[in-house]
Amino acid sequence: MDSVIEMNGVSKLYKDKKAVDNISFNIAKGSITAILGPNGAGKTTALGMLLGLLEPTEGTVKIFGQHPKDKIVREKTGAMLQEVSVMDRLKVREIIALIRSYYPQPMDMEFLIKATGLAPADLNRYAEKLSGGQKRSLGFALALAGDPELIFFDEPTVGLDITSRRRFWDTVRGLAEQGKTIVFTTHYLQEAEDIADRILLFSKGHLVADGSPDEIKSRIVKRSLSFLPIGDRSKLRRSLLELTAIEGCYEKEGRIHVTTDDTDEALRAIFVTGLPVKDVRIDQGRLDDAFEQLTMNQEEAI
Amino acid sequence: MRLITVQCKAEMLRIVRNPYYVFWSLLMPIMFYFIFTRVVNTGNDDPTWRAHYLMSMATFSVMGSAIMTLGIRLVQERTQGWTTFIRITPLPGSVYFFGKMFGQTMMHLFSVICIFAAGYLINGVSLSAGQWVLSGLWILIGSLPFLAIGTLVGAMKRVDTASGVSNVIYMALAVAGGMWMPIEILPRLMQKIGHWLPSYNYGNGAWEIVRGSAPHWSNVLILLGYLVVFMLLSVYIRKKQEAV
Repeated sequence: MDSVIEMNGVSKLYKDKKAVDNISFNIAKGSITAILGPNGAGKTTALGMLLGLLEPTEGTVKIFGQHPKDKIVREKTGAMLQEVSVMDRLKVREIIALIRSYYPQPMDMEFLIKATGLAPADLNRYAEKLSGGQKRSLGFALALAGDPELIFFDEPTVGLDITSRRRFWDTVRGLAEQGKTIVFTTHYLQEAEDIADRILLFSKGHLVADGSPDEIKSRIVKRSLSFLPIGDRSKLRRSLLELTAIEGCYEKEGRIHVTTDDTDEALRAIFVTGLPVKDVRIDQGRLDDAFEQLTMNQEEAI
Repeated sequence: MRLITVQCKAEMLRIVRNPYYVFWSLLMPIMFYFIFTRVVNTGNDDPTWRAHYLMSMATFSVMGSAIMTLGIRLVQERTQGWTTFIRITPLPGSVYFFGKMFGQTMMHLFSVICIFAAGYLINGVSLSAGQWVLSGLWILIGSLPFLAIGTLVGAMKRVDTASGVSNVIYMALAVAGGMWMPIEILPRLMQKIGHWLPSYNYGNGAWEIVRGSAPHWSNVLILLGYLVVFMLLSVYIRKKQEAV
């Protein structure tokens, strides 16, 4: 597979704070990649460097084998930024036509108009008069104006209603089927899971996980082990904590839960030691919970 | 070339469609002109004064739009993220910039024509065809240093700051440069300073033309000097801002 994006040991320093810390990844042609992470994880900074808006403090970024600022790259790339703004005093149709004119082989005008989902009357309105959601839809069409091979979306569905959101992702899937490479940032896990075939999980400027949604799931979702005690609870809890396979334990609704990286090892240890437990259960944690936990840690850190 | 044409056309449309620019850069100078040549009796009824003050108001209008309109628009486009979006398109920054300057110059041309027409209609100012054209050209070309000031204002972070600062610069330059009243009636020290200001040298070029002579070399050189300084400064600041 050809790599469209190559990020090599990239860091970005703001004053003394590392927004992005030594990140490396390649993105293959035709893939849909989600950059997932809570606010402040470094997603937008990473995107800024991919777009050539920010220079990395360390490391290199290559798009189509070139520097992101290269004209060739610009002609083959489209992007929808987080803050979509529009030129005032130009009608929607005029703005689309203007941006199209910047590219050697622009996308078909009718297709772009359809992508905005705007009514014919709205196309002749001044762009600054559109509602927030409509502006984003226009921003989407502008990202596609040059019929790009590589498209970036920064938090694309924030502020979109359900219908627009569905139309947005339908169009994106269609584009991916045409072989276009798509990279988007999001803090909605569900969105990343549904749309992307690869997730890059960012946390505090680090790339903490990289894989398909299923792989990511098994990485961040911990199984939990719980049981009922036979006899003295506190004595059991003390003995549990002496086991190396067990990190900690707590009680919830009468059951004792233990936290562990390896449920198999923990179980074995409990039975080998012969601890007095019954009604053992292993639960698959929920992805949302795990992700929320990650987000919470992040917020506490700030 | 096609890019430049399209960009210029878009910028022109945007300027023409904005009533505020038209209001500020036309209504105020024309009202001033009417007041200071017809309403207030300055005891100065000769045609030279009427032509002189017409030039004052034309330069006043164009200078204001070059500093304020351009500056504030640049800040607006940056704070709203439009400039960032343009940077990720293949449109070269130079073309974008040229389009802005072109749109601005067209606006100036329109202002000059309107204000000249007002002078003719209100006071019957009569100049030779050559004088009309030359003074008009002087005003258009001489606006370059002020456009450079506009790009400096445009480097500011917030629209509020930009509009406040540019307003002060604009008014100070206009008064001290003898655009509101002849520089001769200002205190001696102010006159000394005024002669070195870009606004005085800008106005004086046009005043000389309507008096039947040509702009002094010093007017041209001082304006050129300011242009170079402001341009270098603006380029330097922009480079610094982009190196994030």
